[in-house]
Amino acid sequence: MKFTLKWLGDHINTDLSPGVIGDKLTMAGLELDGLTDLAAGLQNVEVGTLTVVEQHPNADRLTSCKVEVGEETLSIVCGAKNHKVGDKVAVARIGAVLPNGMKIKKGKIRGELSEGMLCSVAELGLADEAEGILILPAEAQNGSGVADIIGCSGTLFELDLTPNRGDCLGIRGIARELGVLSKSQLKPLTPVVKVSDDTVAEVEILDGTGCPRYGGRVIRGVKIAPSPSWLKERLESVGLRPINNVVDITNYILMDLNHPLHAFDLAQLKLPIVVRKAKEGEVLTTLDEVKRSLTPEMTLIADQARPLALAGIMGGEESGVSDSTTDIFLEAAYFNPITTARTGRKLTIQSDSRHRFERGVDPLGLELALERATELIIELAGGSAGPINMVDAGTWQKAKPIPFRPERINRLGGINLSQSEMEEMLLGIGCIKTADNSFQPPSHRHDLVIEEDILEEIVRLYGYDKVPSSLPRIAVNVPDVNPDVAINKKIQKSMTALGYFEAINYTFVSPALQNQFDPGVATTALLNPISEEQSVMRTTLVCGLVESARRNLARGNSILKLFEVGRVFRPGSNGDLIEEDRTAALLTGAIGEKSWHTADREVDFFDLKGDLMGLLTGLTAAPCNLEVGGPDFLHPGRKAKVCLGRDKREIGWIGELHPQIQESLDSSSPLFMFELICQHLNSDKDKKSAKKGLETISRYQSVERDFAFLVADDVPAGPFLETILAVDRELIRKVNLFDLYTGEHMQEGEKSLAIKVTMQANDRTLTDSETQKLSEQITKRVSDKFNATQR
Amino acid sequence: MREQLEALKIESLAKLTAASSIDELEAVRVQTLGKKGDLTKILRGLGKVSAEERPKLGVLANEIKVAFNQALEAQQQILKKSAMEARLQEERLDITLPGRSPAIGSIHPISRALAELTTIFTHMGFPPATGPEVENDWYNFGALNIPDDHPAREMHDTFYLPPAQDGGKRVLRTHTSSVQVHFMENRQPPIRMIAPGKVFRCDSDITHTPMFHQIEGILVDEDVDFGQLKGLLETFLHRFFERDLPVRFRPSFFPFTEPSAEADMGCIFCDAKGCRICKNTGWIEILGCGMIHPNVLKNVDIDTEKYAGFAFGMGVERLAMLKYGINDLRTFFENDLRFLQRHAAVGGE
Repeated sequence: MKFTLKWLGDHINTDLSPGVIGDKLTMAGLELDGLTDLAAGLQNVEVGTLTVVEQHPNADRLTSCKVEVGEETLSIVCGAKNHKVGDKVAVARIGAVLPNGMKIKKGKIRGELSEGMLCSVAELGLADEAEGILILPAEAQNGSGVADIIGCSGTLFELDLTPNRGDCLGIRGIARELGVLSKSQLKPLTPVVKVSDDTVAEVEILDGTGCPRYGGRVIRGVKIAPSPSWLKERLESVGLRPINNVVDITNYILMDLNHPLHAFDLAQLKLPIVVRKAKEGEVLTTLDEVKRSLTPEMTLIADQARPLALAGIMGGEESGVSDSTTDIFLEAAYFNPITTARTGRKLTIQSDSRHRFERGVDPLGLELALERATELIIELAGGSAGPINMVDAGTWQKAKPIPFRPERINRLGGINLSQSEMEEMLLGIGCIKTADNSFQPPSHRHDLVIEEDILEEIVRLYGYDKVPSSLPRIAVNVPDVNPDVAINKKIQKSMTALGYFEAINYTFVSPALQNQFDPGVATTALLNPISEEQSVMRTTLVCGLVESARRNLARGNSILKLFEVGRVFRPGSNGDLIEEDRTAALLTGAIGEKSWHTADREVDFFDLKGDLMGLLTGLTAAPCNLEVGGPDFLHPGRKAKVCLGRDKREIGWIGELHPQIQESLDSSSPLFMFELICQHLNSDKDKKSAKKGLETISRYQSVERDFAFLVADDVPAGPFLETILAVDRELIRKVNLFDLYTGEHMQEGEKSLAIKVTMQANDRTLTDSETQKLSEQITKRVSDKFNATQR
Repeated sequence: MREQLEALKIESLAKLTAASSIDELEAVRVQTLGKKGDLTKILRGLGKVSAEERPKLGVLANEIKVAFNQALEAQQQILKKSAMEARLQEERLDITLPGRSPAIGSIHPISRALAELTTIFTHMGFPPATGPEVENDWYNFGALNIPDDHPAREMHDTFYLPPAQDGGKRVLRTHTSSVQVHFMENRQPPIRMIAPGKVFRCDSDITHTPMFHQIEGILVDEDVDFGQLKGLLETFLHRFFERDLPVRFRPSFFPFTEPSAEADMGCIFCDAKGCRICKNTGWIEILGCGMIHPNVLKNVDIDTEKYAGFAFGMGVERLAMLKYGINDLRTFFENDLRFLQRHAAVGGE
């Protein structure tokens, strides 16, 4: 909502500075969004009269001019072509700093003295571009400031109004608010209209819900013409485009009194006017020249022949005022906010009128708005006014009195005001005290309905800043740990300790990417996405991490350790969407930045596997296994399902991205990823099985035995090591594969596994014969099971 | 023989002092005191000495032995010390060479801000709660006193999903306020919680990303008032920004609170003096809050005569940008490694 200080002055006398007015309004809930000195940059720009215009002696395209400004005559070189002797021009004098930042200095241009500049509209900040300099009206006073003449004077306020304060969408409403805040009276508004015509435009309201009050008057013999400059300036100052006197006056009333009015060309109407629901398939071309198809929930202004206007939103093109109009029907109405909002949204029309009606105009202010508009029309366009014909469908709800409990207001507001102080505030905003000590809000305040609204009003007028701050008195309450929050935090901790950086990616992704990484899973598409790239809900975290990797690789960040914890959205069995927290990691590039102290190598599958196991160790006591399997976008020979617990339930996957995907990412290094379903890490089953009682750390010496086994190439190491561990789960503490060898001195199809086994008992030092026995058992077990021989 | 012994003493001690290594020292010891050493050799002639002289020479020989051993030990210490010194000298490093960097990762700055926020509020008695990111109309709007055609809906540019099987509207939550409803619907006061999480609005430009983060908080109890809301949030802001900057509350509008307020904090970039970032106002808009609207409490069956509550909500990106000095909102979700490293923090509380 924009207004100027000058306009505000029509309604209230105030000696407050613009800054103070802005602060007062802001602290009362009408937030100041901008305060502009309209004349900024126009100091030292004055009206001058050209007395000499001659060809510049040294430049074909320039003129040397003499300009009379007040008492002085200045020499100015000018590059324009549209000026002549006698023209009034805008002279930027030495020292002026124009709105575009240009500083005017004394100087010589091609050898000729120049003591200022003749300005174009662009240089004055009125337009982006201009051809030639601005020629001012002949009546402009020589030597006076240009700012006033071009309507750039005073202060422009911009308020960011909340939807509950529709009553402040008119400048008189803002003045009323300022009056309450500064305890000053509004200037009276008493338009005088002489009714000199007896024509009445009959009106019938058929849709009382959509239109509780409707009326207007006929004005005959108006002369449509451009508005006088004061009116044009007013409208332009708040960003409205002048059209003609009658239309400008309706717009002026809209801004001034917060009542959208509409002027119909009476000659185009086939009376009486009917306010009714639209019929299915009815069509109306609105003022913006768009042909609208209407539906039966929309309220329509129609005559006996056709639809005329969309109630509260926009007039029709054909029935509006044109240059040839002589008689008008001037409409004022109170349209239902909800109906207006629905229609506006359905047709996606934003208009100043809709904006106001859907926030609620004052149903009792229609007559005043009509009178004031008529007064102006007769003054500016002539004509004779008929009587106001206002039809009330009896369907609008008069504001109900609101119970008033001062002690409750003090208690909830944390304040301590007397009843009379509170009552004074409520009366001040126009409430009426009823017999039962309730307060009836004024008809323009649709936001005051319940006790809490009165509470806000009182605290607001008292001043939020005056409410003493305290702290809540709360009972000690130890909440349950939220397991979802807890597991996500643990994952963040572990992954950062493992050297990974957390990424946060958009929850919606491109369908192509989604299909690449989770084919066969139905996705849920947004009905109104911002772009194709962000149009379906992710069912996996892979898409986002891969895109993050792509972006990083393209920017030269080639060593990547990224992880994400976030939600995915998967189709449930009954059409529901299941939200599932997951965590995923991506690893690629060298093991670290190349350095003087560490051998260089690229990360591999086992780096990520180690990190995965490290993560899981911190999260769960359940055993974790990799099993054959994993999604198709992974390298078929380098992928696995991640299984957890004794029941080996699948909780995710790990692997190397398929080389084709690596190629498409333009990455010279392979990329490794895993993804886990967080909820599976929180299983109660695992927690129970992990509770083993106290564990003893042995005080007795441990014994290490090294073995070298020869086995066939296809014997998997995992089960082999597990078999050794299973020989004696109490005494065998650790089985470590310290070398894996194939190649020279080995038979084709064979490999050598070098294994260190640590043995230890809790209650004694193991004897030689005991360790010997264990070693024999190990050798026998792996020989039986894997046909392993000792080297 | 006495002369021989005296000479041996002088000579052997001189050899000890001259020895420059532990090995040489050992050689001197063997030569002097060994089985075939010089002392033994001299003492072999003891039989030829008079009985009167013999014990005196014996004492002298013993003195020589003791003196030799003492000198030997002293020399050993000296040599060990210089050997250690030589070793230390040799092992000297260029300590200005770069160290090996341990791989330490970092949580995202948004997670960092969320962790800091959660910690402060948890300490104040508000535990974190979560809720769904896909909501139906009721939880996101209706229960929060935002009826269908209210202009307030236009404050939220909502993302819609295809309707659920029962025909109900599905949206991506536009605010974490929806978690309020989930949390309160199965509880009675006293109620306290915060709800950190992702929210979504159909808006994308230099100051808006279609996904962002909020943290919401509520308290419902007997004897709750607006002054407590002010005090709590002032305390929070002072903790979070680690500065006692002024905080002001001014009236605003949210459908789910009445009275409603927005809180501004003195600009942290100019100490509230006015700068480009605060548009020369000295104030930075930081959060929205208010007393919970009675319709919201009624919707979750809480007696509004007995209880009252307050709620607050804030954008995490904004808080993170202010606190960590991040100037471009869009960098948050690009996950550029350099950005993640610059704002590194380990952890999760």
